[in-house]
Amino acid sequence: MCSVGGPMDIDIPPDRIKPKSYRCNECSERFKGIGKNPICPSCQSEDVTEI
Amino acid sequence: MIFPLDDEFLLISGKHSFLLVAKTRTRFALCLEIPADEYVQRVDSGDLVVVSAPDGGSVEPAVMLIELVRTYHMPLLVLKKGHPGSKRITRVISVAPEISTSCSIQRGTHPEQHLVCSSDELAGLTLTSIDGGVRISTIPSGVSLKAVKCWITTEFS
Repeated sequence: MCSVGGPMDIDIPPDRIKPKSYRCNECSERFKGIGKNPICPSCQSEDVTEI
Repeated sequence: MIFPLDDEFLLISGKHSFLLVAKTRTRFALCLEIPADEYVQRVDSGDLVVVSAPDGGSVEPAVMLIELVRTYHMPLLVLKKGHPGSKRITRVISVAPEISTSCSIQRGTHPEQHLVCSSDELAGLTLTSIDGGVRISTIPSGVSLKAVKCWITTEFS
């Protein structure tokens, strides 16, 4: 079974995910993206800049 | 093994649990709401959406969950590790080009999308999106695969 309620659990350290901060050049939304080629969560634009 | 998959769902069933697999149709920004922060991950058309039901149950709620995410772009909520609500989560979802199942993670508490919590009997699978289908690393004995078609429709009177 899954580890819910049991002793076994792989603890995924939070630092394994390294988000980068971006600003959308179309709508100015600021967000934290993970993975490659992030897109804006507000306007779905790919025109974003890492800040 | 390669399983052809277009607009239908792939149901991977064990004795007591299942995975429901589909592909995304569009590119979108998937929002992951973690405790005290928000991460955004790019999803491309053709990526996998996998719902895991470690305790089994009906397939229809898994279909609804897939559609809420891939069609309506619902954000994913990630619980803090050890959250008491984790034990009440009966279906979990991941969205990525390649997803592996694991029975050693706590339900709903990890934002990493390349992993999804599963039962023992379905642990250790790796599903990879390929053109026209899904590549599945290994199929454990006693596990069946079938294509499922399901539509959510509304009639107003």
